[in-house]
Amino acid sequence: MSVPINAYVTLASVIFFIGVIGVIVRRNPLIMLMSVELMFNAANLLLIAYARLWLQNVGHIFAFIVITVAAAEAAIGLAIVVTTFRPEKYVDVDDIRTLHG
Amino acid sequence: MIAFWVLAAILIASAVWTIVAKKPVYSVVALLLNFATLAVLYVTLSAEFLAVIQIIVYSGAILVLFVFVIALLGSGVAPFPTGPNRLPKIWLPAGIFTLAAFGFLIYAVSNVKMAAAPATGAVGNAGVFGSVADFGKALFTVQLLPFEATALVLMVAVIGVITLGGEQMSDAEAQQSRMRADRAVREAILREGKG
Amino acid sequence: MGDVGVTHHLLGVAGSYPMLLALWLLPLAGAVICWAFGPQLRSMAGWLVLALVGASFVLAALSWHDGTQNVAGAAGANQPLFSWMPGFDFGLLLDPLSLLWTFIITGVGFLIVFYSIGYMQGDRAFARFFAYMSFFVFAMLTLVLSDNFIGLLVGWGLVGLASYFLIGFWFERPSAVAAARKAFVINVVGDVGVMFAIFVIIAHVHSSGFGDTFAAAGTFSAAVILTICVALFVGAAAKSAQVPLHTWLPDAMEGPTPVSALIHAATMVTAGVYLIARCAPLWNASREAQLLVGTVGGVTALLGAILGTAQWDIKRILAYSTMSQIGYMIMGVGVGAYEAGVAQFFTHAFFKAQLFLGAGLVIHALSDEQDIRRMGGLWKKMPFAFWVMLTGVLSISGVPGFSGFFSKDEVIYGALQHGHPWLDAIGIVTAGITAYYMFRLLFVAFLGEYRGEAPVHTGGAGSWIMNVPVAILVVPSVAIGGALLFGGDASPWAHFFAPLFAAQAHLAVAQTPAPAISENLTSVIVVIVVAIGFLVAWQRYATATAQRNAVDRLRVETEKMPAVLTNLFYFDAAIDAIFVRPSQALGRFFGQVFDPRVLDGAIREIVVTAGWLGTLVRSLQTGLLRAYALILVFGAACFIAYYAIAGAAH
Repeated sequence: MSVPINAYVTLASVIFFIGVIGVIVRRNPLIMLMSVELMFNAANLLLIAYARLWLQNVGHIFAFIVITVAAAEAAIGLAIVVTTFRPEKYVDVDDIRTLHG
Repeated sequence: MIAFWVLAAILIASAVWTIVAKKPVYSVVALLLNFATLAVLYVTLSAEFLAVIQIIVYSGAILVLFVFVIALLGSGVAPFPTGPNRLPKIWLPAGIFTLAAFGFLIYAVSNVKMAAAPATGAVGNAGVFGSVADFGKALFTVQLLPFEATALVLMVAVIGVITLGGEQMSDAEAQQSRMRADRAVREAILREGKG
Repeated sequence: MGDVGVTHHLLGVAGSYPMLLALWLLPLAGAVICWAFGPQLRSMAGWLVLALVGASFVLAALSWHDGTQNVAGAAGANQPLFSWMPGFDFGLLLDPLSLLWTFIITGVGFLIVFYSIGYMQGDRAFARFFAYMSFFVFAMLTLVLSDNFIGLLVGWGLVGLASYFLIGFWFERPSAVAAARKAFVINVVGDVGVMFAIFVIIAHVHSSGFGDTFAAAGTFSAAVILTICVALFVGAAAKSAQVPLHTWLPDAMEGPTPVSALIHAATMVTAGVYLIARCAPLWNASREAQLLVGTVGGVTALLGAILGTAQWDIKRILAYSTMSQIGYMIMGVGVGAYEAGVAQFFTHAFFKAQLFLGAGLVIHALSDEQDIRRMGGLWKKMPFAFWVMLTGVLSISGVPGFSGFFSKDEVIYGALQHGHPWLDAIGIVTAGITAYYMFRLLFVAFLGEYRGEAPVHTGGAGSWIMNVPVAILVVPSVAIGGALLFGGDASPWAHFFAPLFAAQAHLAVAQTPAPAISENLTSVIVVIVVAIGFLVAWQRYATATAQRNAVDRLRVETEKMPAVLTNLFYFDAAIDAIFVRPSQALGRFFGQVFDPRVLDGAIREIVVTAGWLGTLVRSLQTGLLRAYALILVFGAACFIAYYAIAGAAH
């Protein structure tokens, strides 16, 4: 493997980080969910890279499961978005305050 | 080697575009590019099966789901939200701290010499590492429990979506909600015209 | 503390003396019964207490033999009560000194209780009065009968308490309450002195008994002895109203007259004298302490006499005369003339009680009028009171032949004998002033024409109850001095006290040079001075012209009284400024500033802080999704940072 493992780690970290920023900064719930997907993928990348490094296919299994769970989560998240925000002019996460303590 | 760097660049660029794009639809397209590039990267990492799964599930199912929701909500109409930012004022210091932490992490991991551990596990004895057969054998024998658990998770998700989907509206209610939506849009357009 | 195996010295012959126990406890029973069954007893309370006190007196008389026994150097009877630790045995001691005091307490007390049944007739709290009187007798007996310092201190405190009860007996009067409080507070100062002395004694002797202490007196260093003596004297000064702790005694006259007679003339105020006489071995070991005590006694005697010349209230005159006479006693026992000082106590108890009771007759007849400017002419209207007061005045002035003459002379000469010529001089001068103001009292109150408005009603249903004790008191107040004291060192008095005082007294006398003046010459000088005082008083108040112009002369005298005297040498003002005001200011500070702001404020602050914390944490619950996301990420970042740094450290 000519690419050092550190490069993959760095890359995955950067993508993860971009996803985090996306979650916090953007107010459109759809974009937030997409950012979450980005984070999942970053983790997956890391898993696969290490699976390749150590020639263990446990990493692949794990990545597979991550994909599955991400799909489930995206489904539920989108369902929530749909039920919360019926067709409006725009959707803003800051408008829902049901969790206010 | 070069392949890696090119792919890395595209990955990062598409990720950034995802979160920066004005319209959600553009974000979806950027994300699609991201996933595809990721699949290619998996192939370079000898994870062929997963590369395909990535394409099929992520790009093909999840992103399509996103597109449907965008269409349903029609929120591609408006650009960035115009309401006041209600994040508490601490977000700036916290954000900076987060930036610093991640930056430090990246710096730390990038400089650490990680030893390439010897391959202690067996190469998939059904053949080449990363192939379908190898993956399948592992999934249905050694990792059977996670597999079943995953199935359970999916079932929960389905139930959840159905529950969240809500009752079917009667025709009268549906008509009322449509009328409300039309009124809202017309008012929005009028307001847009004035402002 | 309390070493086992060390022999402990006991004063007196140890044994079982049930009569001693009974005479000590009977007054306590009287007090308890009157307290508990006051409303039921009503007027029977007085007779009950009278019977019990009388029984105590009889028992004391029957214990004469026990009290005066002298077995191998142990004088008197010792009734052990209980033993707390080795060295801290509590018991009762009946030796010549305490026997004498017991006779006075129970005997004069008996007569005064008898008198009170008449005086307090009709008072709403009749039973309570006698409960207090009985309690006082018990407390005083505890004081004089204890054979150890701690028992003495218990009695000491209890008589202070009884005094507080009785001074403030008519508690509806704010002046009485204030006087009671003042007396008690000043007495507490004395209590602290006695306590401190006890601490030092226990530290050195590991015991609190008299016997152990006196046996070890020789081993104390000069500084220790002086400390003990000074501390004890602080207590004695407070209890016996010596300068500067005397300011409570005139105010204590707010109590009923029998109280003033018993407590503030005959018994409680002499507790200091008793203490010093009892601790004679300690005082004999410190010349400086003797000088201090003697000087304070002399100064008090003089000061009291001077102030007595400026008073118009009949009881205050007697109060200052008490202070002055106790000054004599203190001076006597202070310089080492123990028999003389105790003799003065003895005679003073009689004639002072008589004077007070006689004054009480007058006050009662004039419906509580106490100002002598509004009396006068009473020798015609109340002849019995007049003759009684006359004998008392003659005795206190030291007219030859009367009791006071003998005891006062002993004190004055004793000061000279023990090497204090200045105190001797002070004593002589004071004797003259005493004669002056006592005759002034007599002349102004009894001679001339009646100047008051209130009708004089003598007689009445129960007046014989008051007259009898006074009449009985005339006898000892006149005669007992001559009977017991005549003959100096060969007198019955000296024999009585020989086991206690003889050895040390002679030793002390032998060490000082022989006085320049003989005893007889001293007596003559005293008589001359007394005569001068009498003549001055006669000239001012008793001549025919003086009696005719009494009203004007008295008014002039009132107006021209020097401010120093009317303000009582500013002692009260000084104590007020030095102690009372700062204490009140401190109390106000703590009450109004410190307590509400600091203490309450601290607790309020806790409450406020809890609320503030709650509000602070609640501000996290914005309901804002992105804020929660931010918190999540922030927390993750912290973890990552920690592990990154910890990992990088490896």
